[in-house]
Amino acid sequence: MSSLVGFLSLVFAIGINFYLFLSRYIFKFQKQKFNLFIRFSSLLTLLSFFSLMYAYVVSDFSNYNVFQNSHSNKPLIYKISGTWGNHEGSMLLWLSILSIFSFFFSFTKNIEDDFQKLTLIIQAFLHILFGLFIVFTSNPFLVNSILINEGLGLNPILQDPGLAVHPPVLYAGYVGYSIVFSIAIAGLFQNTDNEWLYVAKKWSLISWTFLTGGIALGSYWAYYELGWGGWWFWDPVENISLMPWIAGLALVHSLMMVRGEQAIKKWIVFLSILCFSLSVFGTFLVRSGILTSVHSFAADASRGIFILLIFFIVTGFGFLVFLLKEPKKSNTLNLLFINKVSALVINNILMIIATLTILLGTIYPIIIEVLYNKRISVGGPYFNSTVIPIMIPGFLLMSIAPILSWQTNKINNSKKYVLAFIILSVLVLIQSYFLDFNTWGFVGLLLGFWIILASIIAIFSSYKIKINIKFFKIINPHVAHIGVGIAIVGITCSSVFQNELDFNLSEGDKFNINGKTVLFEKIETTNQINFQSLRGKFLFDIEKNQSKEIEAGKNYYPVSKMITSEAGILHQWNKDIYFILGDQKNNEWFVKVLINPFVSFIWLGVIIMIYSGLIAVTRR
Amino acid sequence: MKSSHFFRILHITILGFMFFTFKIYALETIDERVKKLTLELRCMTCQNQSIYDSDAEFSNDIKKIVKQKLQEGESEKDIKKFLAERYGEYILFRPLMNYNNIFLWSFPFILLIIGLFFVLIKTKTKKA
Repeated sequence: MSSLVGFLSLVFAIGINFYLFLSRYIFKFQKQKFNLFIRFSSLLTLLSFFSLMYAYVVSDFSNYNVFQNSHSNKPLIYKISGTWGNHEGSMLLWLSILSIFSFFFSFTKNIEDDFQKLTLIIQAFLHILFGLFIVFTSNPFLVNSILINEGLGLNPILQDPGLAVHPPVLYAGYVGYSIVFSIAIAGLFQNTDNEWLYVAKKWSLISWTFLTGGIALGSYWAYYELGWGGWWFWDPVENISLMPWIAGLALVHSLMMVRGEQAIKKWIVFLSILCFSLSVFGTFLVRSGILTSVHSFAADASRGIFILLIFFIVTGFGFLVFLLKEPKKSNTLNLLFINKVSALVINNILMIIATLTILLGTIYPIIIEVLYNKRISVGGPYFNSTVIPIMIPGFLLMSIAPILSWQTNKINNSKKYVLAFIILSVLVLIQSYFLDFNTWGFVGLLLGFWIILASIIAIFSSYKIKINIKFFKIINPHVAHIGVGIAIVGITCSSVFQNELDFNLSEGDKFNINGKTVLFEKIETTNQINFQSLRGKFLFDIEKNQSKEIEAGKNYYPVSKMITSEAGILHQWNKDIYFILGDQKNNEWFVKVLINPFVSFIWLGVIIMIYSGLIAVTRR
Repeated sequence: MKSSHFFRILHITILGFMFFTFKIYALETIDERVKKLTLELRCMTCQNQSIYDSDAEFSNDIKKIVKQKLQEGESEKDIKKFLAERYGEYILFRPLMNYNNIFLWSFPFILLIIGLFFVLIKTKTKKA
């Protein structure tokens, strides 16, 4: 029953969007009525999504999709998140978020009616494309041909709270760029004043903030669930999410420069189209199964081809309009040796180079395989030695960019900065002499601390300190950059200064970590609702009264016959102590302990970036 | 004027720590060299995991081989070459700098040069 409701409302919503799309040419109607239709179609799409979710919650195995991906003894939260833990459901989620964005956009005030309408028509067009994709290749409402009362279960690695919220947040970022795309295309068609750029700025900030959150959730999940001790692996799927993120960052920054300069307008439109194209392209790469990863679910060539088609339509259409309806002749940029405009231009160039490099590195193995029938890998070392050096000048620049002037190339208080930089370099050099010296460690720490320090100097020397909302809005760019600085420090420390200790232990053994005694108490096995767990219990710092207990082990999921590793992490503000329980041999357990310094700084930095993303949305 | 000071100081700092690096580079232990090398090798039986990070049987074997070969005094390049011949280039996370991969390695730096030119040209026209 719910499947029927879901399918019908999905099809009906596509129908309405088709009608709206045609309304540009045939049956024109008023704005009021138009917006009502848009909202109605959004609600229908949501109805469709929630009826799928309902089927998951009540474990309705007459739905083939539920049968394939769910099991009646899962906890409720994983029944709900199971809705998007598979290809069909996640595409429906994609479409629902698209229609939610249209829904909210239809309420936007202070833009021209025609402009809003055109934007929504382009949204309707995208809705039709992705809607048809779902109906024809990935229908989540197929009926199970046999009567059955148990399902096959959800991939246990996805049964995790972090991963339950990761896809919706990430998709909100990806799909949010659809609105930015539509606004940019509508802007090209109408070629009106620059008012639309402010609207685009708002929506691109919203999308970027969601994307940041989504990527961070995913990488935090990888940190504690994969049990490898790292949080970023330059996995193709991670790269794919990073591309629209960096391009989106470039977009947000170039939207700062909007002051009616045509050259920049062209560039903004280009970036808007690029961001959404990269989002769709990412979906294609992940869903087609060309890249194998946790995300690729069941691979099916016909889906890949269909998404590739959508990608070519969207990108082709976007860039075609861009070429034909190019904004009018450009003014020259006010580039001086070092002023705000040149800083922003350089930052944009570097970000685009980084994006394209990641793109090339990600698809290069595919190209080589097609051309030479040979498999090669392009992994972390490649990206580390290309993308990071390219970004370094950008990082240096961002420390002072927000206080540069638009017009002149004078830097206020430049002596302070030079002095601060010298003192900082000496301090970091001395620090690195006593610790293990490492080039990357040195560069990373210097950059990170320099960004933080320069931003703080800038805040204190350029503005009057007040505690009110307006002040926080003014210093927001600095705050965002401090977030980046903190994250860089965290990234550097946790990757360069990571320490590994290996032990072979029997139950009851004591061992030493950084001078603290740790007791390997016991091994415990328990039966949970949907898995069996094996846990090694450790007591950290037993000499103290408040010793901390850490559990590390493995889970066995009988339904899907899979073993997942569950790392035990002791979080401290300045380091994470990361326990991995290995295999048993001769009555001894292999235990790996990683000491990751300052990991918490990464997440703190990301939280600050998300915060300033949100603040920036409220600022005009 | 001010900014040239800034760059000069930056220059000196960079030279300073490069000197440090070369001094300390030679003091690496065998285990550190094994770590550095195995971090750049793919565990063929895992999903996008490096041999260093993995505890799979395959990875442990390769770790042993690498350590043995380093102790015998083989260079990192030779070891990589040996592994690539045995398991295919797929095992190398850092693609070889050969004819096939010229584009891959030069692309970012070509873009960088183009970008630099763009900025320089645009800056000049303004001054003139």
